[in-house]
Amino acid sequence: MKYISKFTFSIALVLLSFSGNAQETKTATKDSVAPKTERYGLRVGVDLFKLTRSFYEKDYRGIELVGDYRLTRKHYLAVELGNENKTVDDDQVNFTTKGSYLKVGFDYNSYQNWLDMENIISVGLRYGVSSFSQRLNSYEIYNPNQYFGENPVVIAGDEYNGLSAQWIEVVAGMKAEVFNNVFVGFSFRLNRLVNQKLPNNFDNLYIPGFNRTYNGDFGVGFNYTVSYFIPIYKATVKAKAKAEKSKSKSKKK
Amino acid sequence: MKKIIMLLCLVIAIYGCEKDDICVDETTPQLVIEFYDISNPAVLKNVVNLKVTGDGMTEALNTFNGVSKISLPLKTNEDVTKYHLLLNSNSSTASNEDILEFNYTRQNVFVSRACGYKTVFELNTSNGFNYTDATITDGLWIQDTNLQTNSIVTEDEVHLKIYF
Repeated sequence: MKYISKFTFSIALVLLSFSGNAQETKTATKDSVAPKTERYGLRVGVDLFKLTRSFYEKDYRGIELVGDYRLTRKHYLAVELGNENKTVDDDQVNFTTKGSYLKVGFDYNSYQNWLDMENIISVGLRYGVSSFSQRLNSYEIYNPNQYFGENPVVIAGDEYNGLSAQWIEVVAGMKAEVFNNVFVGFSFRLNRLVNQKLPNNFDNLYIPGFNRTYNGDFGVGFNYTVSYFIPIYKATVKAKAKAEKSKSKSKKK
Repeated sequence: MKKIIMLLCLVIAIYGCEKDDICVDETTPQLVIEFYDISNPAVLKNVVNLKVTGDGMTEALNTFNGVSKISLPLKTNEDVTKYHLLLNSNSSTASNEDILEFNYTRQNVFVSRACGYKTVFELNTSNGFNYTDATITDGLWIQDTNLQTNSIVTEDEVHLKIYF
C-alpha cells in the first residue's frame, strides 16, 4: 500500500512535472516568438491580358509592365508602363492609335492577411499620362439622305502626331501569391480624362492606357498580371499594438 | 470589399452598354428652299405637285405638294449638283420645268464616333447658284430668287428663297 501510494505519487509528480514543463515551454515559446515581421520590397510583373490580346487580336499589339513598392503596411506605390498599337474599325471611322503611357499612383490593401500570407485586395488611384499619335485610315460621310446613292468610304490616311492625354483612374484589384514570391492578380479601372490634346478635325476615340473613350472623357480598363516579388527588407508589425490601444480607447469611450 | 463589388458592377454595367453607337448629332445638311409669292414677296406660297429630280437620276427625289419649304440633298462627292424642278407635274399642259444648279466647295468635318464625318458646303461666290429653263423651253416659272447664305452648314435655316 505504501509502495503503491508512493508509486502513484511519483507517477503523478512526473506527469505533473511534465505538464508543468509543457506549459512552461509553451509560455516560453510564446514569449520567444519573434515579433511578427512582414516583407517589404518591389514587385514587378507584366500584364498577360494585353500580351495575349496581341496574339489573338489582329488589330492589336500591346504590352504593359507593372510594378509596386510597399511603402507602409497597407500602402503600395504603384506604377504601370505600357505601349499600345490599336486599329479600331468602327462603322464610320477606321483609325490606328499608337503610343506609350505611364500611370503612377498608390494601392491601399484592405485585406487582413492570416499569418504570413501576403495577398492583396486593394483600391487605389492612378494618374495617367499618354503620348500618342492617331492615323485616320478611312472614314464615311454620314448623310441621312442617300438620294444620290451611298457615300463611298473616303480613304484618308491623315496622320496626327504629338497628341497627349492625362487622366485619373480608380483601381480595384487583387493579387494572390500562387507560389513562392510569384503573384497573380487582376484589376478593374474606371478612367476619367483630365485633359487631352485633340487632333484637328478628329477626336481621340482611343487613347493608349486609357482605352476607348466613352462620351468623350470616360473610360474603363482591365488587366491581368503575373508578377514577381523581390523582398528588400523586413519590418516588424507594430500596427497590432496600435490597433489594441485604439480598441481599448474606444472601449473606454 | 463592398466598394470593390460595387465598382465591379459599375464596370460590367458600362461594358454592357457599349453598343450605344447611334448617330444622333446633326450631320450632312441639305439645302433648304422656301417658296414665296412673287406678287406678295413676304407671304409663303405652297408649291403644287413640284416634282424634284436630280440631274441624271431616273427616280425623282420627291413630289412636293402643298408645302412651301423643301430640302434638297447636295452631292457629297462632286462640287456641282443640279436639280430639275417640274411644277404642276401631273398636268400635261400646265407643267413647267426649271433647272437649279449649285456650285460649291466641300469640307468634311468630324462629328462623332457614331456619325463619323459630315460634309458642309460653301456655295461659290460667283456661280454658287443659278436657275435656267429646261432643255425643252417652256419659260421660267421661277420669277425671282434670293440666296440667303453661301454656307450650307445646318438645316435649321433657309438657304434659298424662290419667288413664283
